[in-house]
Amino acid sequence: MSIDQLVDALPAGGLTVSALKLLDFVVPGQWDNLTGFDNSISRITGETDPELLARVRERALVLYNDPSQSYERAMSIYHLGNASGTVIGLAAAAHKLGETFGAFHFLESLTPRPEKAQAVDLAMKIVAESAAWCYTNGLPGDSISDFAGALEGYGKDNLIRIAAIVAFDGLIPLGDAFASKLMDSVGSLSASDIEENAFFQRAKHLLPGDGLDLVTRNMSAVGDYIGNFASAHGMTSERIVGGLRGFIDLTEDKMEYLGAVLDISLNYMEHTGTQSVARSLIERAVGEV
Amino acid sequence: MKKILLLLVLLVGVYLAWHLMRPAVPATTAANMAPTALPGVVPAKIAQADAISGSSLNKAFPEASGTFKLTFTQEKDGFAQADLSSAGAKVAALTVSDTDANPPARDKFKSAVGKIGGYPMAAVGSQGTAVLVANRFQVQARSLAPSFTAADREAWLEKFKLDALAAIKK
Repeated sequence: MSIDQLVDALPAGGLTVSALKLLDFVVPGQWDNLTGFDNSISRITGETDPELLARVRERALVLYNDPSQSYERAMSIYHLGNASGTVIGLAAAAHKLGETFGAFHFLESLTPRPEKAQAVDLAMKIVAESAAWCYTNGLPGDSISDFAGALEGYGKDNLIRIAAIVAFDGLIPLGDAFASKLMDSVGSLSASDIEENAFFQRAKHLLPGDGLDLVTRNMSAVGDYIGNFASAHGMTSERIVGGLRGFIDLTEDKMEYLGAVLDISLNYMEHTGTQSVARSLIERAVGEV
Repeated sequence: MKKILLLLVLLVGVYLAWHLMRPAVPATTAANMAPTALPGVVPAKIAQADAISGSSLNKAFPEASGTFKLTFTQEKDGFAQADLSSAGAKVAALTVSDTDANPPARDKFKSAVGKIGGYPMAAVGSQGTAVLVANRFQVQARSLAPSFTAADREAWLEKFKLDALAAIKK
């Protein structure tokens, strides 16, 4: 699908949008769920002249459809960053079944320990963000130091995505000590742990190099920023879960499944990634027409 | 009858021989009509990947000083962008693009009356002001906040290293 169709298809409501709006307290006023390609063009450019808006649209589509400009590649990474969550979520749910029911005990040997799997998934979300940012902005995909510098200046759809990574792939599955668990896990990872990661398997042809190397370098460059993000913005697992109760029926006996349920239900990487790629494209297109 | 057949075969043979000996004529598309061979003619469109790189274009950006801060956000083939902030809030987007990859962008400068640094100036909608340098590089300032006026856009365009940009060649 082209970028105009992807932006037109973004929902105005639903579980992902509600979950992202819940994070407004983290980054107040940064994200307003911009949907519809034409609407995005007029909002981002601040223009109303239909002839100019049509030229910007046409130029944005030309740039998106040119493989040498890497916007579509970034979009594919965001899309796959989303899909991998589904697989991990199912693995975690299957593991939980293995713990609960003796008859399914064999599942434990087939599924990774959820904590480690979730830590790898969290690290991979950051690798995905790093590579997609580089491709969107015109740098080689492994320009990790540039990404680290840019991260501190993130705004809008980029910033809400970081908040979502911390909330739904950090705090919920790993708890308030997610940062130390992440760093501990990353310190003991082997190449096979990365190879087993569902996102990595799907996206390695889009990523700029060796998986373990990317994880290690990204974590050393931005691990502290991600780790400190929650405390810097007053985010705790309790506060996030409390917010989720506003639109998800959560009883205490189902809490341990929450991470898996969110993995399966949310597609915030793709949703906000589409908005970020479209924003960069439109900002460029209006500069070029 | 045999003579007629022989004549027909001969004619076909001559036609084929003529056809094969004719020099191959290249397809004349807009993209490969060599512009350099025609002085004074506007160059044809080039592929985006062949445009001047953003890492060369971003050298033409001005220095930000005082309360202003410049943050580079895109560096692509034929395009560079930096956001200008004042006191932590974005006020403008500054861009340079290589119009050889998008020649229609030059059309608006044909009726330009104003100039900045000796280069023709044109409006891009209500929020943007642009200059065309060396008939190739479009430098644009776009307001992202109401406080950044058209006069601010012109002032910041003037700060660009426009003559250095004009000298860039691949």
